[in-house]
Amino acid sequence: MITTIIGVLEEGLVYAIMALGVYITYTILDFPDLSVDSTFPLGAAVTAVAIIAGVPPILTLPLTFLAGAAAGCATGLIHVKLKVRDLLSGIIVMTALYSINLRIAGRANLPIFSQKTIFDSGLASKLPPSLAPFTVLIVLIILVVICKVVLDLYLKTKSGYLLRAAGDNEVLVTSLAKDKGTVKILGLAIANGFAALAGCVYCQQKGFFEISMGTGTMVIGLANVIIGTQLFKRVSFMKATTAVIIGSIIYKACVSIALSLGAIHIGRVTISLPITASDLKLATSVLFLIILVLGNRKGKKGKLHA
Amino acid sequence: MLELRHIEKYYNAGTVNEMCLFQDFNLTIKDHQFVSVVGSNGSGKTSMLNLICGSIPVDEGRILMNGKDITKLPEHKRLRSIGRVYQNPAMGTCPNMTILENMALADNKGKSFNLLPGTNRQRIDAYRESLKTLGLGLEDKLDVKVGVLSGGQRQAMALLMSTMTPIEFLILDEHTAALDPKTAETIMELTNKIVKEKQLTTIMVTHNLRYAVEYGNRLLMMHQGGIVIDKADEEKEEIQIDEILKKFNEISIECGN
Amino acid sequence: MMKKTLPVLMAAAVAMNLLTGCVTIEPAETTAASTAQEETGSTQNASAESSSDSSQETSSDSYVIGIGQYAEHGSLDNCREGFLEGLAEEGIVEGENLTVYYENAQADGGTASQIFTNFAARDVDLFCAIATPMAQSAYSVAMKSDIPVIYTAVTDPVAAELANADGSSVGDITGTSDKLPVEQQLQMIREILPDAETIGIMYTTSEVNSQTTIEEYKAAAPDYGFTIVESGVSSSADIPLAADSLLSQVDCITNLTDNTVVASLPVILDKAAALNIPVFGSEIEQVRIGCLASMGLDYIELGKQTGRMAAKVLKGEAKASEMNYEVIQEASFYGNSAVAENLGITLPEDLTANAAEMFTEISQ
Repeated sequence: MITTIIGVLEEGLVYAIMALGVYITYTILDFPDLSVDSTFPLGAAVTAVAIIAGVPPILTLPLTFLAGAAAGCATGLIHVKLKVRDLLSGIIVMTALYSINLRIAGRANLPIFSQKTIFDSGLASKLPPSLAPFTVLIVLIILVVICKVVLDLYLKTKSGYLLRAAGDNEVLVTSLAKDKGTVKILGLAIANGFAALAGCVYCQQKGFFEISMGTGTMVIGLANVIIGTQLFKRVSFMKATTAVIIGSIIYKACVSIALSLGAIHIGRVTISLPITASDLKLATSVLFLIILVLGNRKGKKGKLHA
Repeated sequence: MLELRHIEKYYNAGTVNEMCLFQDFNLTIKDHQFVSVVGSNGSGKTSMLNLICGSIPVDEGRILMNGKDITKLPEHKRLRSIGRVYQNPAMGTCPNMTILENMALADNKGKSFNLLPGTNRQRIDAYRESLKTLGLGLEDKLDVKVGVLSGGQRQAMALLMSTMTPIEFLILDEHTAALDPKTAETIMELTNKIVKEKQLTTIMVTHNLRYAVEYGNRLLMMHQGGIVIDKADEEKEEIQIDEILKKFNEISIECGN
Repeated sequence: MMKKTLPVLMAAAVAMNLLTGCVTIEPAETTAASTAQEETGSTQNASAESSSDSSQETSSDSYVIGIGQYAEHGSLDNCREGFLEGLAEEGIVEGENLTVYYENAQADGGTASQIFTNFAARDVDLFCAIATPMAQSAYSVAMKSDIPVIYTAVTDPVAAELANADGSSVGDITGTSDKLPVEQQLQMIREILPDAETIGIMYTTSEVNSQTTIEEYKAAAPDYGFTIVESGVSSSADIPLAADSLLSQVDCITNLTDNTVVASLPVILDKAAALNIPVFGSEIEQVRIGCLASMGLDYIELGKQTGRMAAKVLKGEAKASEMNYEVIQEASFYGNSAVAENLGITLPEDLTANAAEMFTEISQ
């Protein structure tokens, strides 16, 4: 059981970093950004190549953030300057990055099993041996908390205010004598920076880059954001960023439960469900639905009391 | 000083639906003038405001602001010295941000939106003071999201926010039209007060003929992209509602309304 | 929230079960290992190390394994089938002394590693990973949990960093490679088509196995008097167009084990047949559905070989870390006489005489 929980937390936290980015584009900017599907593997490709080239693992974090931000800028520029529709600009960048990712990595699958990563060097290697099973989790928690706090702080700066205003009311941004296009580009850059950062961490945790690893990232990110914000929308003291992180963990918990549905052990009794490996996606989506519906019902009750 | 010179504006140019809105349209607004603009729907009032602000481009002609040609200047750059309040109270504020955050945003207009804290703690008292002048009790709700306020409260905030930093021109686009009569009255009085205090050059589009007569020192009536009544200062003082209404009905009949 | 949700989910699951009429509530004593784990359950959570120890102690005659397969795919299914047969040959039979958990990642890398994390939580004695991304995911989970990994259908374990250049293992992981017998295939094509000059190969740019094999083909082709024309696609949607353009440039086509291309093989076969261009396969299944011939792998055999390796590890006869990865040494010839007839080609007798299997019809 404890292994499963650690596994779910690890997976959830990696994707939480990406979900923070999707939170910026989807919730704050109201921009359906598909480029994250490719900036996630972009982060992984840059990381694998950089680590093999001898770059200290910790430096890959800012490096990939910048790479992702550049890709996000590209999406933004295509949308704002060339006046291409939002979905399409994301698709263009996503498609182009597929080739660029292959170029960067040199091939479709680049392992770094034999290399040192952020999970076994630097601070992580100084943890007491008794904490060994939790090393990855501890490193991830630290990273996610840093990302969350930095994002929270950023959203409280003048620049962050303007970003939120851009999503809330574009007209006001213009009224404030600011170009709303520039603000959008900035938001997309930050969001894709987070997606690439998540790819970087994912690559170091799993030990390899794989070109197809980004497929469906956007959908996972959206699910994380919506689960998080829906479930906790009545909990006023919780920041949206925290909700998004918890949403990511819940998403992965759903996948994990779906994976376990084939044989449920309750004490000495095993319940075998007629669910096979190919039903995984169906089971996962049914679980989401249940969670969202439960979240909604809870929300309605809250409204009645209020 | 704001000048519109020989403005031409077509809609759907080059198609069968081509419609000429302005043809050789000229207008000069002197500093510190408070212009009320009335006219039927489709007479070009709001289009004129959009042309001035740069929300839509002109086809021909030039727009001068204090003698400087701003025809090619993008909207957000023009708005540096212009404050604009829209008919829809939601357009002037950010619903998902708190009153305090909205005030801080407005306060930063014209300055750099950098990585310094969004809300300057030392300015909070000043915000509270200016909110107090609205008399709506908003000064005690600084941490409330603007989205939960009523339309009137939001419009009052929008007015406050658009005139918070030093600007020269104030553009009011039917800013009382979406409000109930009593709130509209309050907002109108507030507008007058702010315009007088800050000595703003103001253009106010309104459907309320009484406001047009009561407020401001120049009155324009527009019809089919042209100006049919233009009275300023003493002439405007003498004008009566009945007179405008009569003219208004005349042009409406022409149009078959 | 989760606390509240879980019982509901359980209830929903049980309700689903009742509706479908498949309730099988059985005592957990089906495997000695799991009973032992239940008894030591309270202490077993203390650390991952102690839990794997306890499973080893009780694993003398009964085993639990987790099979993770990357995608739904004929060849990979054959691997799995062969794997279980190989284990059975060594006396480890599913349902008797073997419990098998099987999951399919549906080609999703994120799910892949979760599958193995879940297997680890169930204290399986061994991971079986089918295809390269799966093997890599299994290895990264295994490094933390001390569970041995046996992989199969990994074309290049060295490039995937699952094995050292000399074939020895990089950790507690070993298995079999489905590396294609490139030279034998080229030799066979030369024998069947003495006048052919160009061979077309279609592959997916995202599949590292294909890229490695293409390089091998390019290196070896001149020795047999061939030029290779390659055509990379990024998804199955690109295949019809790519096939048209490739077919206009080549004398014949040969296939790799590329998952995307193999899945769309009927499209390519159809277009090639219209132009009377022979298509060579890389394994038995492809010949069955209409490739002319193949010097290829039998994935069931590959699976069996892998199963036998797994049996050694499970029985404690050898450690995965001490075993080199294995390849199928002898490629066998598969031919399809119906296809040959359609193309007006006679398959040389010295090939057909030694064929592992000859098909006389094209199965759809």
